[in-house]
Amino acid sequence: MIEINHVDKWYGPSFQALKDCTTSVTKGEVVVVCGPSGSGKSTLIKCVNALEPIQGGEIILDGIKVNDPKTDLPKLRSRVGMVFQHFELFPHLRIIDNLCLAQEKVLGRKHEEALAKGKKLLDRVGLTEHATKFPAQLSGGQQQRVAIARALAMDPIAMLFDEPTSALDPEMISEVLDVMVDLARDGMTMMVVTHEMGFANKVADRVIFMDRGEIVEDAKKTDFFGKPRSDRAQKFLSKILQH
Amino acid sequence: MIGNFDFDVIRRALPYLFFEGMRFTLTLTALSAFGGLVFGTLIAMMRLSGYRLLARVAGLYVDFIRSLPLVLVIFWFYFLVPYIGQWLTGASRPISVGAFASSLITFIAFESAYFSEIMRAGIQSISRGQPAAANALGLTYGQTMRYVVLPQAFRNMLPVLLTQTIVLFQDTSLVYVLSITDFLGAASKVAQRDGRLVEMYLFAALVYFVISSIASIGVRRLQARISIVR
Repeated sequence: MIEINHVDKWYGPSFQALKDCTTSVTKGEVVVVCGPSGSGKSTLIKCVNALEPIQGGEIILDGIKVNDPKTDLPKLRSRVGMVFQHFELFPHLRIIDNLCLAQEKVLGRKHEEALAKGKKLLDRVGLTEHATKFPAQLSGGQQQRVAIARALAMDPIAMLFDEPTSALDPEMISEVLDVMVDLARDGMTMMVVTHEMGFANKVADRVIFMDRGEIVEDAKKTDFFGKPRSDRAQKFLSKILQH
Repeated sequence: MIGNFDFDVIRRALPYLFFEGMRFTLTLTALSAFGGLVFGTLIAMMRLSGYRLLARVAGLYVDFIRSLPLVLVIFWFYFLVPYIGQWLTGASRPISVGAFASSLITFIAFESAYFSEIMRAGIQSISRGQPAAANALGLTYGQTMRYVVLPQAFRNMLPVLLTQTIVLFQDTSLVYVLSITDFLGAASKVAQRDGRLVEMYLFAALVYFVISSIASIGVRRLQARISIVR
């Protein structure tokens, strides 16, 4: 589903954000990407739907080469859902309109159809009664659930999560993770950048550990938590798991 | 002086002042503000487009316009536009455009430079995550601008845009150099005709003051409301 082959990315001439990264996500798989801040994990996931351009290697999404100049990027992006650290709901639109906008403008759905789909998904994330509110009237956890519903409204073939719980107050993290766990159990293909090792332990098939732009570990969940092979991964795990 | 202040001169001139003069002033203000906003937004998008040539052209235009006195351009344009029209159409004589069209073009050209700076600030005030989220949903650049970025930029900048429009409302009085009957022009004509300079110019000042003040108060209220919503 997602193939990442020898990807290099540079910010300017002197800073290499990604170094020869190779990995893949197969259909229905849940892959968690972790690593210290600045390790390139968010950059990597943003390269998957070309929000960030890459300078070397290739990324193939459902058989389509992402970094080919001939690729119709908007069309490709509309098939992959993305959830951001800071939610990025459109603050000038009501919740339901946040869910309908891309359905109508990108997929060409009729308003009634988009509306029905939006309501169904709001119900799925438990926010039906907030449909006519504006994003600023919702809590962080609620906004992130709306953001997930907004991405799902496009019927994506895969979902990308870029630190979906990092900007949330602790008591709101679980409501978002619950939605994500449901999604994973429904068989959604997911690539998740997160520090939530509990989530990784529960639903991930594989865990990728990154450090300084490199993929250091890429292992089955049980192997990864059992005995990470690299020193750096071990150090990272011992730091975030000791509390 | 107040003793022989003739209020009746003002009263008799009222229909002329408002139906001719103020109507022209308000029409010119509204059309210039609208045109300035449309073209200003386009210029702002050019400057932020990332295409160096487009950005450069837009930047030069704004710098050029902002370094000229408005009244000079109004005057200059009025006499130049007929010749440009002649040159463009290949006509044998200069094409008469009329004072209204000429001044409208001038004001739109001017205001688009000022509005573009406001809209540029407005667009830059939107966090980069917003267009990223719109792109991630599959919206094209044009759709992202139209449905996500510009509505927010416009809303954030509305008080500043309106304040600039109040300035524009006052600046339209500069068309007097073309002997146009805007509000000030009308007042001035009556003043000359009846020899009542003090009355007419005081009254004109009062009208500009009242309208601008009310509009400013309105803008401040609006600003307070917007900041609560956000």
